[in-house]
Amino acid sequence: MSALGGGAGGGEGMNPTATIVGLVIMLIALAATFVVGGMSAALVLVGIIIGGVLVGFGVHFVPVGGAPAAMGQAPGIATGVAMLAAGAGLAGLFGGAWAAELGLAVALAGGAVGGGLMMAITCMFVNIVYVFGMGIPSASGKVDKDPITGDTFPAYKSQGTEGHGLPFISYVGGVIGGALGGLGGTLIYLQLLFLYEEMLPAMLNASAEEILPVAVSLAGIFAIGMFLVNAVIAAYNITGTIEGPHDPKFKRFPRAIVGAAIASAVCGLVAILIVAV
Amino acid sequence: MSVKIEASEGGRPHNEILGFGLIGSLVCIYLTYLNVLTGTEIFSFFGGLGAVIALAWGSDTIKHLCSYGLGTGVPSAGMIAFGSGVIAMLFATKFGIAAPVAALVIAALLGAVIGYVSDKVVSMNIPVMVISLIELAIVGALTMMGLAAMAGGSFMFADLVAGSTTVFGIEIASYGSSVIGGSVLAVIFILGSIAVQHPFNACLGPGEQQDRTLMLAAECGFLSMIGVAVISFAFIGFGSAVVALLVSIIGWAYTYMEYIKLSRRDAYDWLDAKPIHEPKGGA
Repeated sequence: MSALGGGAGGGEGMNPTATIVGLVIMLIALAATFVVGGMSAALVLVGIIIGGVLVGFGVHFVPVGGAPAAMGQAPGIATGVAMLAAGAGLAGLFGGAWAAELGLAVALAGGAVGGGLMMAITCMFVNIVYVFGMGIPSASGKVDKDPITGDTFPAYKSQGTEGHGLPFISYVGGVIGGALGGLGGTLIYLQLLFLYEEMLPAMLNASAEEILPVAVSLAGIFAIGMFLVNAVIAAYNITGTIEGPHDPKFKRFPRAIVGAAIASAVCGLVAILIVAV
Repeated sequence: MSVKIEASEGGRPHNEILGFGLIGSLVCIYLTYLNVLTGTEIFSFFGGLGAVIALAWGSDTIKHLCSYGLGTGVPSAGMIAFGSGVIAMLFATKFGIAAPVAALVIAALLGAVIGYVSDKVVSMNIPVMVISLIELAIVGALTMMGLAAMAGGSFMFADLVAGSTTVFGIEIASYGSSVIGGSVLAVIFILGSIAVQHPFNACLGPGEQQDRTLMLAAECGFLSMIGVAVISFAFIGFGSAVVALLVSIIGWAYTYMEYIKLSRRDAYDWLDAKPIHEPKGGA
């Protein structure tokens, strides 16, 4: 919810001109990476774009309640998209980063489990606070029946609210969103880490072992930066609150995927240029 | 479509603050180059002052942007500012003496793309979206660069990755004990993004006054500077770090007292409640 009120942006549908202009920007970034760094750098950028898209898509699953949820007037977790995405994504990034030496598959799985676990724990404690602390049942305002458990909501929904608590479908959405976010963030980190481990020794004229701290921190801080950019673009797409995958706003995700791909391509180009130039 | 709501009446126009913030922070970051010219590290604290000026400008930009109602809360603007700013800043450090100007240009380009994506592809349709995200990316990049220069004494990549550590009394070069290799940037990132997103988030609402918001921004900036000054003991000389710490503490104390004065001015009423005294000998 906006702090100052005012009309929310958004609406459904995509803007075809802007989408094409954006995709052209993305292709230019890919071509520029190919010219300065060759095929290996271009593949790294493709990995970064996939990671960014996973982050942008994953954010749409997370049940974000914002300020109304804190007052028990809307379903979801009572904070903003940026905070939730940062929490899940960074937890996933830490989960995946320790496993970087064990190969791509293990590290990506670690990232996904880390992000999903973070959201699972968050959702559980949110429901404990809602049910046992505030004394409100979980009821969605957007659908009448939980698509998974079949629980009915209208009888439990208080008048004048958009629903409250965290229904099971939102919980599942939160875990999926956290896993996708952690997976995407870890993928960005690993792509950059492997590139830096390869390029930095020649650039700084030092052994691979010596530059490891620089490679790890550069890749880490770039991954955090790109993660937040993609998460906030997805948040702007949602404009405020979303209940999870059953929310009508979820259908807006194609726009966020295009947006995240463009932003990741340009940010990734800059991150690759630091070692390629 | 979005409807603009004026956050506050009066105050200085945003463009004036933009100009002052841009030039002021660039000049202050360049003043850290005196370290190289004079061969000392005593001028590192200017980087922090540059960051404080950039943060005040960033708070005003966030106010400008959020007066349209983003729908996602004020902190998201601070997060995207530093997310794009850190990417631009790190690449810009490679440009040697031109690094602050390069940070400005690269951040402006990144901000323009992200602004276009947010405004048109994601259909936010906010008239000031592109220009605000350009400004915020520059604020993020300059703040990161200022605070990194304050911690490490230089804004150049070669100096920021080089550090030294002492093993059995012998000093050896170690990339792990540098500003970038030691992941100090992650701390600077969050210190800066909290400082840029907090002031307007705390002061918004009816009766918001520009001078109070900007004073809180300066106060948050100096508070982050104190943290960076403590970190800088690890990278620059003891005397220089003490100077940086003193400047930060004095700046913070002054802006904090001014902020309390302004809050009292804008408050409807003020009760100076005294702490409850425990009776002697226990209750």
